[in-house]
Amino acid sequence: MAERDLAKVAAVVGVGHSDWIGDHARVRAGGKPHDSNGYGAVAFREALADAGIDRSEIDGLIVGPTTSYERIGELLGLNVRWGGQADAMLGIIEACMAIRSGLAEVVALVYGNDQRSAAISYGGAEAMGGNMFLSYVYHAPWGFTSQGALYAMMFRRYMELEGLTEAELGEVAVAQRLAASKNPNALMRKPITVEDYLNSAYICEPLHLFDYCLINDGGVALIVAEAGRAKRMSARSVPIHGVGRSDLNAGATSLEPRLFDYYRPAQQQAAEQVFAMAGAGPSEMSALQVYDSFSCHIPLALEGYGYCRTGEAGRFMREHGISLAKGLPVNTSGGHLSESYMQGWNHQVEAVRQMRGECGARQVPDCRFVHYSSDVAGKAVSIIYGK
Amino acid sequence: MGLSQRVLTLYDQPMWDSIEQQRFALQHCDDCATVRYPPGPICPHCLSLAASWKPLSGRATILSWVVFHRQYFDDFPPPYNSVAVQIAEGPIVVSNLIGDEPDGSWIGAEVEFVYRRQGERMQHAVRLLRSGPVAGGSDQTAP
Repeated sequence: MAERDLAKVAAVVGVGHSDWIGDHARVRAGGKPHDSNGYGAVAFREALADAGIDRSEIDGLIVGPTTSYERIGELLGLNVRWGGQADAMLGIIEACMAIRSGLAEVVALVYGNDQRSAAISYGGAEAMGGNMFLSYVYHAPWGFTSQGALYAMMFRRYMELEGLTEAELGEVAVAQRLAASKNPNALMRKPITVEDYLNSAYICEPLHLFDYCLINDGGVALIVAEAGRAKRMSARSVPIHGVGRSDLNAGATSLEPRLFDYYRPAQQQAAEQVFAMAGAGPSEMSALQVYDSFSCHIPLALEGYGYCRTGEAGRFMREHGISLAKGLPVNTSGGHLSESYMQGWNHQVEAVRQMRGECGARQVPDCRFVHYSSDVAGKAVSIIYGK
Repeated sequence: MGLSQRVLTLYDQPMWDSIEQQRFALQHCDDCATVRYPPGPICPHCLSLAASWKPLSGRATILSWVVFHRQYFDDFPPPYNSVAVQIAEGPIVVSNLIGDEPDGSWIGAEVEFVYRRQGERMQHAVRLLRSGPVAGGSDQTAP
């Protein structure tokens, strides 16, 4: 299998994103700088400039789930020989697969989302995503709605059975806000304390306001190229050393994999695959980026990916630490909670910038590997970036 | 904002009819006895298409609970709870606990299904077993 895996087949040569802070201010003032296509287009220009390549070099295109594949290709003038639609994490895996197979050599990944200005709702009668994930809408007759509530239900059980306290969960929001305070692109930069966290309002108890991601407009784009060509294109290319995936679908709507397993089996399988492919384990990761629509993704990922033992995430976060100040640096940009809610796309940008050493005050020293993981609705995906 | 809505596929309708009659029923697989929730066209365990609608025992155990402090539906002013219960027949069902609440953790509390009107529809809720008189539940009907 080894000769067919995806290790170091491809590298990221360019990253770009829209002006999250400026656009958020404009949207909050009642403006609408762009629609989803526009944000994607802005991000693509940035990524292309960051890569330092001409558009004509691109022969593959993946667009995020929020925009039309053809319309993005049309707007950006991209005729390609391979393409598709995917979320951030699967988009990167698919780009690696296309490059491995020779169907494409330089793939642009483009995402734009006007979720704030379009008043997209992730709960209630018009809950987004219900056509794809039945659990998002099925329990509405009992008032049970929103992805936050699904994670609150899951994590309440974990907290009760494993003894993780609210103050320990608060370590996530505090650590990520500390990171955001050192990130000029982050929307929420004022540091908070565990006390601030505990004093913040519940949204769906036991989750507080600070456990929830932001909702903002924006776009992200990445350029992924065949590894050899990437080196010739850019001295700052960041190779992808491993990918992993494992999906839990059985019992998804009736919540069995959430409430009985906290998605752990999927994370463990994805971990086994990604660490084997990269030839490195959790102790060798310099930083961890976790898809954090809610803070509780972090303790569950710490356990699922083997950064700490099962049931010990609370103590790990409190004693070992998960911040730039102490322990394992997690979500070094501030993540979805404090930087920008770009549905996993901004985590890839941060991973690349950390590997390049471009992160200034929030730079993790001697970055060797950055590990990304997500477990959205029990679909565990993992990517390791390296030298 | 809008009212809370049911998902009513072809397969859900018989379940909601059973709830309207205050006899919550689900499909039991004719081949392996697995109980389906949500209702559906096939048994995820053995892939049998054959199933029979049978009333449930009405007994369940609380696995987890949340309390909403934000309003998402016109017909659910906060605060209110939602509970995930494992029914005696196996699957996990989301409902609302009405009446007395457990002291401390709700996990492991044994409950029974009861029925109440939510706007124009009848739907299930759960109530603690071995608890005293239900408080503040004037609109619910005992099974």
